[in-house]
Amino acid sequence: MTETSVPPTGTSAELLLDAVSRSYGENLAVRSISAEVPASKISVIVGPSGCGKSTLLRIISGLDEPTSGRVEFEGVPVKGVPEGLAMVFQDYSRSLFPWMRVDKNVAFPIKHLPAKERAERVRFAMQEVGLSGKEKLYPWQMSGGMQQRVAIARALASHPKLLLMDEPYASVDAQTRADLEDLLMRIQAELGITVLVVTHDIDESVYLADRIIVLSAPPSVVTEVIEVDLPRPRDHIATKTDPRFVEIRGHVTRLLRSKEHAAPV
Amino acid sequence: MTIQQGSEVHVPLSAPESEAVEERAAVPAPPRRTLRTGFPWPVTVLLRLVAPAAIIGIWYLISQRERSGLFVKDPLTSFERFVEDFLSGDASRLFLGDATFDHLFPSVGRALAGLGIAIVVGVVIGVLLGISPVMTALFQPLVHLGRSLPSPALLGVFFFLFGTGDSPKIFLIAFSVVWPILLNTIDGVSSIGQTRAQAAQVFRIPGRDVLTHIVLPGAAPKIFAGIRTSLSFSLILMIISELQKSENGLGYLLIQSQRTFDYAGFWAVLIVLVILGVAFNTIFLAIERRALAWHRGATQQND
Repeated sequence: MTETSVPPTGTSAELLLDAVSRSYGENLAVRSISAEVPASKISVIVGPSGCGKSTLLRIISGLDEPTSGRVEFEGVPVKGVPEGLAMVFQDYSRSLFPWMRVDKNVAFPIKHLPAKERAERVRFAMQEVGLSGKEKLYPWQMSGGMQQRVAIARALASHPKLLLMDEPYASVDAQTRADLEDLLMRIQAELGITVLVVTHDIDESVYLADRIIVLSAPPSVVTEVIEVDLPRPRDHIATKTDPRFVEIRGHVTRLLRSKEHAAPV
Repeated sequence: MTIQQGSEVHVPLSAPESEAVEERAAVPAPPRRTLRTGFPWPVTVLLRLVAPAAIIGIWYLISQRERSGLFVKDPLTSFERFVEDFLSGDASRLFLGDATFDHLFPSVGRALAGLGIAIVVGVVIGVLLGISPVMTALFQPLVHLGRSLPSPALLGVFFFLFGTGDSPKIFLIAFSVVWPILLNTIDGVSSIGQTRAQAAQVFRIPGRDVLTHIVLPGAAPKIFAGIRTSLSFSLILMIISELQKSENGLGYLLIQSQRTFDYAGFWAVLIVLVILGVAFNTIFLAIERRALAWHRGATQQND
């Protein structure tokens, strides 16, 4: 059981949303969302604020059920939180546990594993996010960017096939944000996991994504699915000055603008 | 204001992207010898002694007046009596006097037993109510009713229910001091937050671990605050419960010494109560400092 230091690759999952809708009483939050999240790629859902992204994430992670439609993960309908799913929340200070040191935080979701394997996974995850040697700190002794890296390490330690990220970089400063975007792309390329990021930042969506799923204002539908063919590895200067990047960004911006102001049907 | 700023490190604005600057400067804040006042510690200690010294001075002055002096024994006589009653045994009894064994220990035993029951009951029920909004709504009125009852009024009821002896006293203490713990536990559990609860769900943490590693530690700061309030309540209730139908205890000793016009004995008991209160609080703070070290650090960082 020593090969476990590198999470299994090539078994990455595919997520399928088929006409998913969710209403709360009279209020229709998500009208009908159909989308495919390809395996071993980074997909980004981008939409105006209040586009029902939290609802959608709760449904995908099995914490909530759609009013109609279905969600499949690896070809199996999602019922409850599926195995192989991990999540990084927007607010690291609220999702990490301040009473546990960093290594305990990272190891907490894999508490059921034998101690030796657990320690190995923590070591690997901490190394992946560049935090080796910080294991004995408490989260609140770290900067925001470091805390969010702990949250990513915690997700990685559970060897996810699908990594969900809810506005993961909305609470950190711009420089840290850029570093964390590159960190995510490096880890994704190394481990081949499927990543689904939800954001309202258009630049971020184009920079990270292999596929962008653009949502409308609520009640949400998918406006367009865009394949981003920018070469990898990407770079904050080269990629963001690439005419193709500028073109896609402009396109996404126009989509969000027009939909944001459109009256709901 | 030039107090101890030498240790501050000035990080240049254009700091290179090193981990060192990202890490916050204050890794568990180094123990500073300047307490909150900002004075060196001997000064602080002196300042803290001013009020007790003043109280003893006033006490002495009152004891010297002709009329009040009949009842108020002077501090020295009272202290001598305290030593005689409570601290004058031989080595086989750890130098503790008869009154310590006959009255102090039974009293402290009842207070701790009552407080112990209150902590267990308060935390268990508080967690049950805190994690379920339905249960909270259902039992809220009952909790508020129990909390607002002046519990010493129930002393008779407890005698009736549990007879004489220790149990009515212990249960009265437990019943009276359970409320701050219960309410704070409910509050603490519901303050843990949506995101942490959601994180526990997404990572499929089993219920038992959620309880012991998320709910209880998360609620611990509030629970400790509740226990601290209850601790001083328990001493008050300990005395009240011993004023009637009692054969020993500090409360009994207070009444007894007054009835026999033994005012030095009376003031000696008051000295014991002061020491007891301070000792309880000190021990509690030491436990809290250990258990909630993370919380102090976390709140300091957020200031």
